[in-house]
Amino acid sequence: MGAISGQGIVVGILATGIRLAAPFLFASLGEMFSQRSGVFNLGLEGIMMMGAFAGFMTSLGAGSPWLGVLAAIGVGAALGLLMAFISVTMQAEQGISGIGLHMFCWGLSGLLFRVYLGFITSCKGFSPWHIPVLSHIPVLGPILFQHNWMVYFSLLLVPVSWFVLYRTTWGLKVRAVGTTPQAADTLGVNVNAIRCQCVVLGGAMAGLAGAFLTVGQANMYADNITAGRGFIAVALVYFGRWSPMGILLGSLLFSMMNALQLWVQVLGISFPYEFAVIMPYVMTIAALAVAVRRVWAPTALGKPFRREAG
Amino acid sequence: MKKHTGASDSLLQVGVLVGALVLALLVGAGLILLARASPIAAYKAMFTGPFSGRYGITESLVKATPLLLIGLGIVISFRSGILNIGGEGQMIAGSLAGAAVALALPGWPAVALLPLTMIAGILAGAVWGGIAGWLKACLSVNEILSTVMLNQIAFQLNLYLIRGPMIDPQEVAYGTGCPQTALLPRSIWLPRIIRGTRFHWGLVIAVAFAVLVYVFLWRTTIGYRMRASGAGPQAARAAGIGVENYQILAMAFAGGFAGLAGVVEVLGVHHRVLEGLSGGYGFSGIVVALFGRLHPLGCIPASILFGMLTLGADMMQRAVSIPAAIVMAIQGLVVLFVVGSDLLIRQPDLLRRRLRMVGPSIAPAGGAAGGNKEVNS
Amino acid sequence: MRKYRVVIVVILAFAMLIAAGSGPIYSAPAKKIRVAMLMASTIDDMAWSQSMYEGLKAVQKELGADKLEFVTSERMGNPVDAGAAIRQYADQGFDIIIAHGAQYQSVLMELAPDFPKTTFAYGTGFTAAPNIFAYDPQAQEGAYLMGMIAALMSKSGIVGIVGPVESGDAIKYNYGFQQGVAAANPNVKVRIAYTGSFGDIVGAGELAKVHMDAKADILTGSAQQAVGAARAVAERSGVYWMSTDMDQASLAPDHVLAAQVYHWEKVVKAIIDYRAQGILGGKHLTLSFSDGALELRYNPKLVSKIPKNVLDLVEKAKQGIISGALKVELPKKK
Repeated sequence: MGAISGQGIVVGILATGIRLAAPFLFASLGEMFSQRSGVFNLGLEGIMMMGAFAGFMTSLGAGSPWLGVLAAIGVGAALGLLMAFISVTMQAEQGISGIGLHMFCWGLSGLLFRVYLGFITSCKGFSPWHIPVLSHIPVLGPILFQHNWMVYFSLLLVPVSWFVLYRTTWGLKVRAVGTTPQAADTLGVNVNAIRCQCVVLGGAMAGLAGAFLTVGQANMYADNITAGRGFIAVALVYFGRWSPMGILLGSLLFSMMNALQLWVQVLGISFPYEFAVIMPYVMTIAALAVAVRRVWAPTALGKPFRREAG
Repeated sequence: MKKHTGASDSLLQVGVLVGALVLALLVGAGLILLARASPIAAYKAMFTGPFSGRYGITESLVKATPLLLIGLGIVISFRSGILNIGGEGQMIAGSLAGAAVALALPGWPAVALLPLTMIAGILAGAVWGGIAGWLKACLSVNEILSTVMLNQIAFQLNLYLIRGPMIDPQEVAYGTGCPQTALLPRSIWLPRIIRGTRFHWGLVIAVAFAVLVYVFLWRTTIGYRMRASGAGPQAARAAGIGVENYQILAMAFAGGFAGLAGVVEVLGVHHRVLEGLSGGYGFSGIVVALFGRLHPLGCIPASILFGMLTLGADMMQRAVSIPAAIVMAIQGLVVLFVVGSDLLIRQPDLLRRRLRMVGPSIAPAGGAAGGNKEVNS
Repeated sequence: MRKYRVVIVVILAFAMLIAAGSGPIYSAPAKKIRVAMLMASTIDDMAWSQSMYEGLKAVQKELGADKLEFVTSERMGNPVDAGAAIRQYADQGFDIIIAHGAQYQSVLMELAPDFPKTTFAYGTGFTAAPNIFAYDPQAQEGAYLMGMIAALMSKSGIVGIVGPVESGDAIKYNYGFQQGVAAANPNVKVRIAYTGSFGDIVGAGELAKVHMDAKADILTGSAQQAVGAARAVAERSGVYWMSTDMDQASLAPDHVLAAQVYHWEKVVKAIIDYRAQGILGGKHLTLSFSDGALELRYNPKLVSKIPKNVLDLVEKAKQGIISGALKVELPKKK
């Protein structure tokens, strides 16, 4: 391998993996709240696309990626509200409304991009922030402490989500609404209101995930920029069994596998590259299949709540 | 379980569907304005296009064929309580297996080779779908997770095969390397119904299968058990139905139909496997199943309608030169509005009550439709 | 009254059917040439599709908008949609229909006989038909020169290719690049990796970062995904990008050393000229240095960084390619 040491490769794989995990963490943690409250939002991919677009355009127009992130969160929340209206208020079939939302967002982002810009260019993004002292630690430094702030923030959201879900009254309500909506309703919890809040939160975080792609990773925007990442994020929620720690594990596993396949290819290890590309997908299925069989899911997931119906 | 709906209810349901469609198109008109084009000219092209001459009609039907087949599979899986979003991957698997068989046995007579090719496609799709069903039933792997992953795997596998082991030898000889297989033997191409168009016998096959699926779901014990598993897994289990097995079966059926769609596309339209063959049908098929009220026979008009809608939208984009992205956006809007109005369609009472509040004269009189408990997944 | 109306409608319907069936009714009197183009990505992809779009625009500018009209259909990745679009364009009497991608060969072969007066074109491809042109950029030629530059300029001795999918244009390009590197400096390593997608710019960017982390200091890549990689290169100093299909210097003005630019206007004009002579197809059109359809373009901002002897060597090789003295091989598998 000549120019690069074995240790350098391992560090490279791990550092790349952590960076790649960030968008999945944002989107999956958000989707976790939706699903915990009982709403399955398959439109995540589309919301991410719109978030990526909003982040990019704002950063380009206003010259500030920070404003881009805010815009992406706002757009994501608005689309989450739309999803909430259709799937919670109008009680529509959630899987299909998600696909509809995805199609709408894909079309809309492509259209707006053409109307308001119409050529590929780059925008201002966040540069890596090497945390003082920590980033100089050998091995660990380059792996953990030489990323841009959004990567740190995505990792920080894991304990925050855990705390919100398990240690606050709102989190308790979310869990109640997702498992025993009738009981929660009897206790005076407004089931649909909680669900709407969760879907909006999930949308906002999907928007943030999209912004990460444009201002945190690629610093540019092109048609269909998410390339299926939103669907993976939904899948990772199932993989992580609706818990922040599980989602962290899943995102890291998937991204590390992805980083590994990139490095395998780059180092010229002979291997049909298609198999390298599908490695993360196969591993995720395999890991799930051999994991402990007892699965816990929000029992009311995907079921609209009707008060009068028994 | 069967729904009993009166004529006034059906009328109301159709009214709501049409209303949703109109609203979606109104919002779409805003998008067209944004692209600096005339919505009237655009929609005119969209709605007259599919009827303009034999080209529009036949191309709509060409699109309707895979949509109907996939929609049928979705109906079965949905009724059995499992959502198949792996249609894309299953379609690819079917097309590859069909082509592999047809290319491996070039000298065989068409009477043997054609059914063999189709069966290979169906089986490959069924296996690809069945994997997801088996993972769910035996290892509790959620089907949404596994089908999303299986779609990606099929996509890459397809690329590997059609640019590697299965590539057209001519492409290698000339050094262009376009990823596609060789042409299938001409003898097994599905004949075109109208010469000079791409309208082929696949649609007839699909319609025949729609009738079969109807009979299967409502006239056989297995079909009844599958629907029971979907309507209420607990109750079904209590009645001694092995819900898990029927879910595997349902996914295998859904995959089989998607696989058939893939092989029919190959035999009827492309005559070889090439990139992008699944073309989003796996997802649109879900919408068709919903449009068809999750009924096999309902899927027939739904697939034709959706074929016309998508073709018309494409023609609209060309007629008034607006970005293709609009087509996708409007399709998304249609799905959102239709699925969003589902509640009113499912429970006409609700709408009637609302209407009564607005003005009693509009609402059709009549008692509540009995047994409105919807079979819901 | 009503009966008449029915008769009129029936006649009209028949007229429409006949009109639709008898092929293009569009005929000579209007001198305007009507061109339609369809593509799998979009006209702003900064690569394969945009380069053709720019070529059409250039021809239109030269001939005048009253002489040449052109329309486009984007996102035609699904071959069924593409077939529908091509048929519609042909029905509407477009003179030249350019299906910009190798994957459209099959659908054109089938459609073209139904519209004998229409000219079709597609590429990368080799199979022509009486009214189909196949065009074929010799991507390996420019790639060879870029490989030479990369090999002579690399300090680390490692150059990287960010590939989309191993097929068509990308194979030729990568193959030529490797030969150029090997010819200029056999000690320089070429590392090839693929994203598995034509359009995933984020994935391409990440792949480029991995290349750079693994010490590659000159990168290249084809298809629209490459813009993501070019942008990633622009983030780091001391690393350069070689662009193909189009000049991508606008994305990374300080990092794109040189570009292989496709001059599609030559191809479009050749098709128009052939058509004027009554030749509707049947030719295999190449884009190469010898016919002027390929251009090696240096970035004026960075050309001073390239040593004189490198520029001379590359120029010599280019002349060799033009004269035929230097042959860039194409992969022959199996």
